[in-house]
Amino acid sequence: MNMNEASLPAGRQGHIHPISSLIREANRIFFDMGFTFVEGPLLESEWYNFDALNVPKDHPARDMQDTFFIKDEPGYVLRTHTSGLQIRYMTEQMKKGMPPPYRVIAPGKCFRNEATDITHEAEFYQIEGLAVGEDISLAHLKGTFRKFFSEIFKGNVEVRFRPSFFPFTEPSIEIDMRLTGETAPEKLRDKWIEIGGAGMIHPQVLENCGVDSKKYQGWAFGPGLDRIAMLKWGIDDVRLMHSADLRFVNQF
Amino acid sequence: MQTFFDSPLPSAEDLSNALTFHAFEIEGIENVRVRNSNMEDQALDVKVTPNRGHDALSHRGIAKEISAILKIPMRVDPLRENPPDGGSLEPRTDTIKVTVEDPMLCPRFTGAYIKGVRVGPSPEWLKTALESIGQQSINNIVDATNFIMFSLGQPLHAFDAAKLTAKRNSWALNIRLARKGETLVGLDDKEYSLSPSMLIIEDANAGTVVSIAGIKGGKPTCIDESTTDIFLEAANWDGVTVRRTSQALKLRTDASDRFQQVISPELAAYGIRAAKDLIVELAGGAIVGYVDEYPQPQLIRQITITTARINALLGTILNDEEVVDAFERLGLPFEKKGGEFVVTSPFERLDLMIPEDLVEEVARIIGYEKIPTTELPEFQKKPDINQNFAATEKVREELVSKGYSEVYTSVFADEGERAVSNKVGGERPYLRATLLGGLREAEVRNARNKELLGLRNIKLFEIGTVWQGGKEKMVLGVADDEGIHESELVSDGKAKRYEAYPISKADRFTPFSKYPFIVRDIAMWVPQGPDAISEVLTIFAQEGGLLLRHVELFDQFKKDDRISYAFHLVFQSFEKTLTDAEANEVMTRITTDVEKRGWQVR
Repeated sequence: MNMNEASLPAGRQGHIHPISSLIREANRIFFDMGFTFVEGPLLESEWYNFDALNVPKDHPARDMQDTFFIKDEPGYVLRTHTSGLQIRYMTEQMKKGMPPPYRVIAPGKCFRNEATDITHEAEFYQIEGLAVGEDISLAHLKGTFRKFFSEIFKGNVEVRFRPSFFPFTEPSIEIDMRLTGETAPEKLRDKWIEIGGAGMIHPQVLENCGVDSKKYQGWAFGPGLDRIAMLKWGIDDVRLMHSADLRFVNQF
Repeated sequence: MQTFFDSPLPSAEDLSNALTFHAFEIEGIENVRVRNSNMEDQALDVKVTPNRGHDALSHRGIAKEISAILKIPMRVDPLRENPPDGGSLEPRTDTIKVTVEDPMLCPRFTGAYIKGVRVGPSPEWLKTALESIGQQSINNIVDATNFIMFSLGQPLHAFDAAKLTAKRNSWALNIRLARKGETLVGLDDKEYSLSPSMLIIEDANAGTVVSIAGIKGGKPTCIDESTTDIFLEAANWDGVTVRRTSQALKLRTDASDRFQQVISPELAAYGIRAAKDLIVELAGGAIVGYVDEYPQPQLIRQITITTARINALLGTILNDEEVVDAFERLGLPFEKKGGEFVVTSPFERLDLMIPEDLVEEVARIIGYEKIPTTELPEFQKKPDINQNFAATEKVREELVSKGYSEVYTSVFADEGERAVSNKVGGERPYLRATLLGGLREAEVRNARNKELLGLRNIKLFEIGTVWQGGKEKMVLGVADDEGIHESELVSDGKAKRYEAYPISKADRFTPFSKYPFIVRDIAMWVPQGPDAISEVLTIFAQEGGLLLRHVELFDQFKKDDRISYAFHLVFQSFEKTLTDAEANEVMTRITTDVEKRGWQVR
């Protein structure tokens, strides 16, 4: 029981959803590094969600996603990731005659057609990030994540990569992080934690957007925001995010 | 795995680590029992990524990875040995004629006609090997084909030659698309109805289907105890056709899993030769001859890369020697021409197509830990302000300051203009056209917890996507005692910067009880001054213990030198539904304690 609660409710503030708080904070951190916040539709065309990202029809790579299809609207899906926003942004910029450098983040809701449990939700949040230029390397990705996580988790952060596969990046990696030092939350301290996928944007993906892959290169990442929120605040059930339960929301 | 190496391999844990950081995720390590002995071995469950389904869905493929990562040479690499027949599958036989109608769907078909085998149980080592990877032992012939599939990655199938229809002492197989109405009873005793998109093998002399290409063989031509002559098949099938057929028939097999990833047609020759050798060793018999339909041999692919390019993508400072070391460990043949490496893709590595693929090979073999951590340079352009986000942030902050809390509800609803066609479970298939339904539900559910939350009334809002009037829109929904209403959120497009709104200061989330709570009120007269109330709160805490979830002072007034306080006390257990008697008991203890101090409970 919290004795501070023993007060009259008059003038009490409401609470924002923890994911909203995280997006606000992420935007602030990335804005300072030069990243523009972009968004796009949840109901997405297969071109943006799959084809332009090197995921052809009838390819086993499509099995990596459990996709919601829309009745009577062939060619449209509920976006399975925020990665399609890379394509939207770069294509739009090139049409406006604006070649790289680009720095973009795109936090937003995504969908996965599967049964829900304490770690899986059909609706979840991802934060896409993209940096393209003439000399953007994987080393910069490590640096960017270290900065992002050390601000989000208020601690010293180490970032580690493991090999992975995504059709739209080459090389593809998984990102792990480890918090060290006194300021890190005790439950997370000194443990490697899986954060999400990333990689150097596949040259074909750049070309699909009209970007010259001989001249420009860059990376993209797409970790889950629900997962980061669960780690940051010790949330034990992802279904709370969409529960609309104030016993949850009012703790933030 | 050890059979691929001379020098002893490290422990399963070490192998697991090596693969995790340089190749694939490991799903688990299982202990497996060796048959008829007390010995235990360990099996690694490797999650092969879709780009490596071409070559690594096999023990040889994983052995090659281990060899490259740990720098241990393989004793033999079955795909690098020069076969005694020079690779041409000799001797040939014309006893079996194979016709491929469309080589695009079947780039290669190899077969081996073996006479005089004795079908029987497999030896213990083979049974152990198959059982350790969850396979059932069937007989020495079928087990041999399965063993070679898991070893090399080439699926195989054995037909009983006597059950195929002979005409003038010869057989004929035709590879074609199925005709409408054709069926096949599979080895699993199920009958499959075939359609013209599905590729099959036909016994051409009988005009009957004997196998669903690359997926399942048929029951009528299966191997049994009476079998003496077999026709062994190792083919290469179009991945998309196998995948579509497998999905349409809801029939996934170890063979279809491999073919849908696309494997090299070169592999068929290695597979058929190895399976023939193993069958002759286990079941006797002798090869009569091979058939090989391979009209268009696989092209050899060459990729050019420089060390400078690798360093530019990775942000590393590798030298040529380190790059050469990675290529050599992976068994990637290369030539150095000027400053460039010209690398030849081994036939099974269909994933190696562009220079960036080689960058990944070098990166994972030298190890991603060699990549430095470098901050991005300052950005020359100022980021744009996202007007929609700025507008939602402003609304969010205004409502929060007025006591509204933000909720997220599901976009799936019982009604709407659009629906998803394949929702798992099938409930709420519509995309919501309004936030009102979700907010109303949320308001009702939260109202039940008002006292627990310490709220006089429930005030909620949601900023969310709806699909309305044929469009996807962002709307704001607000629910309070006045009612529920929603409006489209449109930005004025004038934000010049993002406001410095506060982020959550919460430290850790505290789980809450799922059981109902009980509210009791208590009012009392106490002396004025700060000491009395803190003493009262201490009494509450002591007597209420873990059951007291929330205290709220809802009324106070002074009279003479005394002050009256009235509290709501909310009780709730984490373990069970609390009874009235249990709450009353705590209230009695609290009352007694308060009165002991000479204060009056009203």
